Order: sequence, then structure tokens, then C-alpha cells
Amino acid sequence: MKPFLKVILLLASATILMACAAQHEIRILHVNDFHGFATAYKPYGSESEQGGLAYLAQRVEELRSEKPTLLVAAGDMIQGNNWANLFQGKSSIEAMNSMKFDAVVVGNHEFDFGQAILKERIQEANFPFLGANVAGLSQLKSYVVKNLDGLSIAVIGVVTGDTPTTTHPKNVSGLQFSSPVDTVEKYVRELRAKNDIIVVLSHIGFSADMELAKKVEGIDVIVGGHSHTKVAKPAVVGKTHILQAFEHGKVLGVLDLTVKNGTIIQAHSRLEPISPGGKENREVGSIVAKYQKQVDSFMDVTVGESLVDLDGVNVRRQETNLGNLITDIMRKAAGADAAIINGGTIRTSIKKGKIKVSDVYAVVPFDNYIVAIKLTGRQIRETLEHGVSAIEAGEGRFPQISGIAFTFNRHAQAGSRVKEVFIGGRPIVADKEYTVATNDFLAAGGDGYKAFGNAVKSSKDYAVIGGAMKGDKLVYSNAGKWLRDVVIEFIKSRKEIYPRVEGRIREVK
Amino acid sequence: MEMNTEEKYTTGKDTDMKVYVNDQEFELVPGMTVKHALIDAGLLDMIKQGKKVYDEMDNEIGLSGALTEGAKIYIR
Repeated sequence: MKPFLKVILLLASATILMACAAQHEIRILHVNDFHGFATAYKPYGSESEQGGLAYLAQRVEELRSEKPTLLVAAGDMIQGNNWANLFQGKSSIEAMNSMKFDAVVVGNHEFDFGQAILKERIQEANFPFLGANVAGLSQLKSYVVKNLDGLSIAVIGVVTGDTPTTTHPKNVSGLQFSSPVDTVEKYVRELRAKNDIIVVLSHIGFSADMELAKKVEGIDVIVGGHSHTKVAKPAVVGKTHILQAFEHGKVLGVLDLTVKNGTIIQAHSRLEPISPGGKENREVGSIVAKYQKQVDSFMDVTVGESLVDLDGVNVRRQETNLGNLITDIMRKAAGADAAIINGGTIRTSIKKGKIKVSDVYAVVPFDNYIVAIKLTGRQIRETLEHGVSAIEAGEGRFPQISGIAFTFNRHAQAGSRVKEVFIGGRPIVADKEYTVATNDFLAAGGDGYKAFGNAVKSSKDYAVIGGAMKGDKLVYSNAGKWLRDVVIEFIKSRKEIYPRVEGRIREVK
Repeated sequence: MEMNTEEKYTTGKDTDMKVYVNDQEFELVPGMTVKHALIDAGLLDMIKQGKKVYDEMDNEIGLSGALTEGAKIYIR
């Protein structure tokens, strides 16, 4: 071979080698809003089982073996389902450690068990918890830098600034949540030049992620959560790829990136459905089973004793002692003047004797939480009128109440049935405001109850001061704790209960 | 670093949150989710019948998904 040909061949080989050396194939696997749904389940309206953490973990392992991979989660991992709640998220962390997560951003529901518990969970985790826009919790890191196939990848974490409105105020006492956009902008400025790839792990919702990408240049990838969005078609704003993997581990997000000289030259994302069948990851499967066994036995735990039968049968036509018990608990929990729920909230009775967890779960099975809203005396009267407007049909709207006593005539025209109304033993005053606890179902207008929604329409600005939510109309909202768990805590604290029918709701002619 | 500042958080927003279900306006308490919007719209039963909820960009969203002021969702 002629010398100059040799030189050309050598130069060509060197160029190819250099090009190859500068090109990296990496993968980001992601989940969000897992909420402790460790076992597969049939979602509302679906006939087929979806999810299952052991199946998801197996798929992670298979995909991870193919190329250098990061596994990340975009928040709300430790609260929601009984599998997580009964252990205050410890079960989720154990499984996530086994799956070798690289980074997780704190979601608003990570605060639901209080800061002391969150600190314990962070301590147990083998991966960093991120929260760059949260001040006051030193255990949260603003970002983490990971090395993948020689690439430097900075992962910044931000959570929704609305967190204090979605959990009990005491859970975020002393913390400050600053703007995710300003925070990300600050850290991108600091990290962009020093790293090849910038990933934002965000728990602010898909539409907010789109805005973030529009406002802040220099983000390569946003892995999102909070809105439970199934981003099946890749979203790209400028040069930013925006991802989100639905909810409850029902899909696994996969992003394959080809990076050359610090630039993403190719990006392919997909969501892989996860369902039972196929191979399970044994280690994660055994963690899931271990905690599930405890959940099952927890249902048999005795929480207290009732000295009387608790009537859940007549809740759609009259005052009952079970309705009184539950509304009393709600009124106390919210520190309200009164409480009103629809009888349909209560699904069954409990016999006199020992009360098990499963009994309480059967009585209030829904994922409802307590809300308290200021209503005028007039609005309370309207609410009660609505409650008794279909008594003939035995509909679920019939009210169960605490702090209130009223009379009604079922033979009068619907809308004019309520006669005398007392609050705190005194006649109700039409223009006076009272704080009324209810559940989120009624506050959203369920069973035709409109007064709560109408009241918040006229609300003004509000704040959380000294651990309590202060507002014009909305005075209490604890989305992080189900009503049934509040009821269990109450019965446990009392050991013995004997609620009675007291004449709170009386029929007159 | 633990903070010593006054425990105060202000959203700067009203306590109601306007969302749109099938282009119809509904008002919810902040923090409420897709499920609550469907309850208010009287459409939750449609999910039981196999319908799904989508955002403005045609992405499916879960019932527990967070909503924000002005969010537009569609059920079909």
C-alpha cells in the first residue's frame, strides 16, 4: 500500500474512533405518582389489572442491562394506598432501595406524614431526595450530579408551590416553597456549563412543565409528575424534552438519548405498560408481599369497642348514632362549628362489640378527606333543605350532622321542609358565618350539594400562619389523610365508644 | 439549615380554582383533583362506563391528577 494511502486510512480510522468516543447512548427510566400502589389493581372503569411493582422492577432491570441508565422518580411515592400509608412510606423506600433509584424529587404528598417522618424516610433511602425550591428542610438536596458513560448529568428537583394547600398545615410548618421557575433558572445558570446534560425532576404538573421549558433555556429533559399525565406522545419545547409516566406504576417511562459532544442528537421516548404476567423481580416481589401480608393482618386489628350497635342502615332517612359519631369526629378534627355529610358517605353498620380496622374501612371505604368551609346561616339552611329534599326516595343526600340540630316536615314541598335550625344550641343567624366541616366529595358538589362550592367562589386570599390555614372561606383541608384513618385514630384514643341518637334531626308536621 | 422565620405561606391566589370540563366552567377548592372536577360536573359515572379523561394536549390523565387554575379537561 502506498504511504499516502496508509496515512489517509489511519486518519479516517482516527476520525471514526474519535466520533465514536464522543458519542454516548444512555437511558433514563422514570416513574411518578406511584402512591404506594405496589400490587396490580383494576383502575375505576377498567376490567383489566394494571401495574404491579415487582413487574415494573423486573422491566427496569432488563432495560438497565442494555445501556448506561438512570432510574428516577418525580414525586408522590410514599403516600396514598394502604400498602404505603400503614407504614408511613417505609415500604415504598425499601422497594425503591432494592430497585436502586438514582434520584427522587419530593412530591407534595411526601409531606403528608409530617416532617419528622419524612426525615426518617430520607435517612432510610439509598438515593437523594431533591427539593431545590423548599427551604427549611436540610435533608433535601437541590440537585445531584450523576456520571453516566462518562457524561456528567445534573438532576435538579422542584415541587409544586401549592404544597401547603394539599396537606395539613402543620406538615409544612416552618418551610417555604419558592417559585419552581426561578429556582430552576438559578440552578441551570450554575450547572449548565459544568455538565453535559441537565435534567429537571419536577413535581409541578404537565402544563407547568411546559411553561417551565418555555421560560428557562438550557434544560435538556423534564421528568414530571403531579398531574398524573400519560405523556404518550413526546412533548418538546425548544430543545427540552418533557416526559411524564401516568400514575401508580401502571407504565414505565423510557427515554433513550444519543449524546455527542455534550449535545443530544437523538431522543426517543416511550411508555411501557406494566401489568401482571411475565417475570417478576423476586427481591421486590418479596418486599411487596411482606408488607401486603401486614396490611392484610392490620385489617384484623381491634381498634376499640362499641358499647352499642352503630347504625349505618338508616343514614339515608334519619339521624343515626353512626352518623353522629363520624360527623362529631370530623367537626373536632377541623375545629369547626358544625359538620355535615351525606348519608351516602356511610356504607354499612357495625355491631356492638369489638371494632376492627376492616369494620371502619367498610363503613367509610372511599378515599375521602376532611375539608371545612365557612358558610352563612342561610347557606347552611339551604344545604339542609337539599339534604332532606329527596327523603322519599331514600337517596344518599340525606344529611348526618354534628353541632347542628334541625326540624323538618317531609310533607312540605321540597325546598321548604326545614323549619327550626340551631347551631351550638342557639338559633341559626342567616347572615352569620359558621365553619362547617364536610368531606371533599360534598365540597366538590357531590350528591348535588352546591353550598360549599358556592361559598369558596367568593373567597379572598388566604395564608397559613402559625400552623393553621387562614382564609376567607376555606379554613381547613387535609388531603393527605383519609377520613377512615381519622375515625380509626379517634376510636383508638377513646377505646370505648357509645354514640347515641340525640334528636339532632327531628321530623315535625 | 432550619428556618427561624415566621411560619407564613401565602399563595397570592383566591381560594377557588376555575377548571373546565368539556368546556364548561366549574369552581373547586385548591388541591382538588380530576375526580373532584368530574363529581362537580356530574360526570364521574362516565369513567365507570369506560370513558377516559384527557388534557388539552390529548394526553390521558388519572383521576387523582392535580388540576391548576384554568385547566381544561375532556371526557370521552
